[in-house]
Amino acid sequence: MRAITGEKGDIRKEVTMKSVPRLIRRFISILFLSIFFLLLLNFLLLYFMTKDQTSSRSPYATAQEAARGLIRDGENCALGQDFQEMLREENAWAVFIDNDTHRVIWHTEDLPEDIPMEYSLSEIADLTLGYVRDYPTYVGDGDNGIMVLGYPRDRYWKSMWPTWDYDFIANLPWNILTVMLLNLLSFLILYMVANTGLLKSVNPIVKGIQTLPTGEPVYVREKGVLSELAASINHTSEMLQMQQRQLRRKETARANWIAGVSHDIRTPLSMVMGYAGQLAGDLRLPEEEQKKAQVIVRQSARMKNLINDLNLASKLEYNMQPLARGRENAVALVRQVAVDFINMDIDRRFQIEWTAEESLRACMVDGDRDLLMRAVSNLIQNSINHNEQGCRIYVGVWQEEGSCVIRVEDDGKGASDAQIEKLNHTPHYMVCDTNTTEQRHGLGLLIVRQIAASHGGTVRIGRSSYGGLSVEIVLPADS
Amino acid sequence: MDITYLKEKRILIVDDEQELLDMVVSILKEDGFRNIRTASSVKDALETAGTFRPELAILDVMLPDGSGFSLMERLKAQADYPILFLTARGEADDRLRGLGLGADDYMVKPFLPQELIFRVTAILRRSYKGEEPLVRLQGSMIDFSRGEVVKGGEHIPLTAKEHALLSALCRNAGRIVTIDALCEAAWGDNPYGYENSLMAHIRRIREKIEVCPSQPISLVTVKGLGYKLMVER
Repeated sequence: MRAITGEKGDIRKEVTMKSVPRLIRRFISILFLSIFFLLLLNFLLLYFMTKDQTSSRSPYATAQEAARGLIRDGENCALGQDFQEMLREENAWAVFIDNDTHRVIWHTEDLPEDIPMEYSLSEIADLTLGYVRDYPTYVGDGDNGIMVLGYPRDRYWKSMWPTWDYDFIANLPWNILTVMLLNLLSFLILYMVANTGLLKSVNPIVKGIQTLPTGEPVYVREKGVLSELAASINHTSEMLQMQQRQLRRKETARANWIAGVSHDIRTPLSMVMGYAGQLAGDLRLPEEEQKKAQVIVRQSARMKNLINDLNLASKLEYNMQPLARGRENAVALVRQVAVDFINMDIDRRFQIEWTAEESLRACMVDGDRDLLMRAVSNLIQNSINHNEQGCRIYVGVWQEEGSCVIRVEDDGKGASDAQIEKLNHTPHYMVCDTNTTEQRHGLGLLIVRQIAASHGGTVRIGRSSYGGLSVEIVLPADS
Repeated sequence: MDITYLKEKRILIVDDEQELLDMVVSILKEDGFRNIRTASSVKDALETAGTFRPELAILDVMLPDGSGFSLMERLKAQADYPILFLTARGEADDRLRGLGLGADDYMVKPFLPQELIFRVTAILRRSYKGEEPLVRLQGSMIDFSRGEVVKGGEHIPLTAKEHALLSALCRNAGRIVTIDALCEAAWGDNPYGYENSLMAHIRRIREKIEVCPSQPISLVTVKGLGYKLMVER
């Protein structure tokens, strides 16, 4: 029983350990997928938002073209019709500054009035970089002069910021990578912080659900997002516990009832057995009467065994008989049972012989001494009960590949193959409600089976080489 | 073996069933015990014990006015003598409890007369050793108090191991004692691997007690199981 519980516990642990990392893996892949889609979305948005701007003519290019389009003939300048059209479309004005005089020698007609007509070198440097009277300006290189295009004040925003460090631009790929990695890291940290909280509230619930089938009481704290779930787990556990208690109570009541009945039968049976025993040994009585008394003794002994069996069987059936395990020598234990039977000497018709090899002095098993002795004595008693004409009973212990085999055989009438087959495969009689008439043959063996099973062993029933029945209890040897 | 002195021991039997008391008394009387008193309750038992001064008490576990276990404690407080429990409760924990508290043995009802006689005699013999008598065998005699065997006018001393083995056999005279029980009697707990030594000791004991050691009559081998000491009445 203990072994089974332990196994269950291990499985549960394994499940928990498997499902949580799986959950984490899933969360992380979702995270990476969302980051990927987010980036894609951003790039797309950026593309669509800037598409219109880049599709229009660059002001630098326009200035350059306008500069080339200006035809200069001494003091007179003229701009081609299509260039003028272009400037009108852009809503831009233009001036042409002579290289030598720094004066405006040509301008468009819509030139704002506040635009100066003469420029110093520093003013030219300013307008090349930025603005003239807040009009964003762009410069093109023309025939011995420069063409300056001025756009409406709200048309462009010009960056006049000092440029980047050379190293920064040179290492741009690395810098971008670093930034991306830092982003990723912060994402992960944020994610972990957010999810640990969630996992913390999920874990007790998972554990609770996994504990439910083991039958142990479960209580999950009803707090947080999943409190309703926790409450229903607790409720389920309470119901299971209640059912278990009721079942246990019923089983206990039944076992107690059997114990009570067998207790009450013992005292009257003592008197039957005691007086019959006295009469059986009373030499003053005629032989015939002594024999009758012997029959009463034998039959009351059978009743005694039956009571003991019934009581123990019900206790073993409902797991109410705790095993008092210890390291026991099966050879000594079986020998003691055989000797007890011979010493009791109820009936001379039954001879008990020891068949184990003399070289086998010990065969250690981990078991409950009283229960194992009980099993062996049940087997010997079984041979006695089923061979009223008398028989020889052969008892021995063998060692067999990590097992300890206790064998009880007889040369009595034995059983047919069909009966043996049935004995080997019939389940517990206690739970079988049909064919109850067969219980009187099966109870003794049932207990032997129960005892063997509670020690992790088995029972083999077969035909003996001596002619009768052979029953073996195979127990795991304790090396 | 002469055990008549044991038959003089005062025995107190406590059980609430009058008919059971009558039966136990009848079994013991038939076997020769003479000093027997009975009681049917704790109160009754304590009163009787005060005047009767028993040398062995046979107690039922469940009495109308208390448990046999507590009765045992109170009886032992008066005087120390062996206790045998006789009960209808067969559970292992009861047995352990009874023996743990200082009970000498425990018998579950129902029982055969010879079983009761054997246990009573065994307890008495164990508890009143001082009066160890001579044990008569066919052709020899064991004197445990002197630790020797007398055979044909010759006094042969016994070794400690031989003494231990013979007393274990003698306590169970006429019954088989297993090889394991004998090894335990001579070598203590976990007596495995002494089987060959045991055979050697048995051989030497036979040389001392048997008239014809190669054909033993008193110390008999039961093949594979153990040995039996046959005692002359």
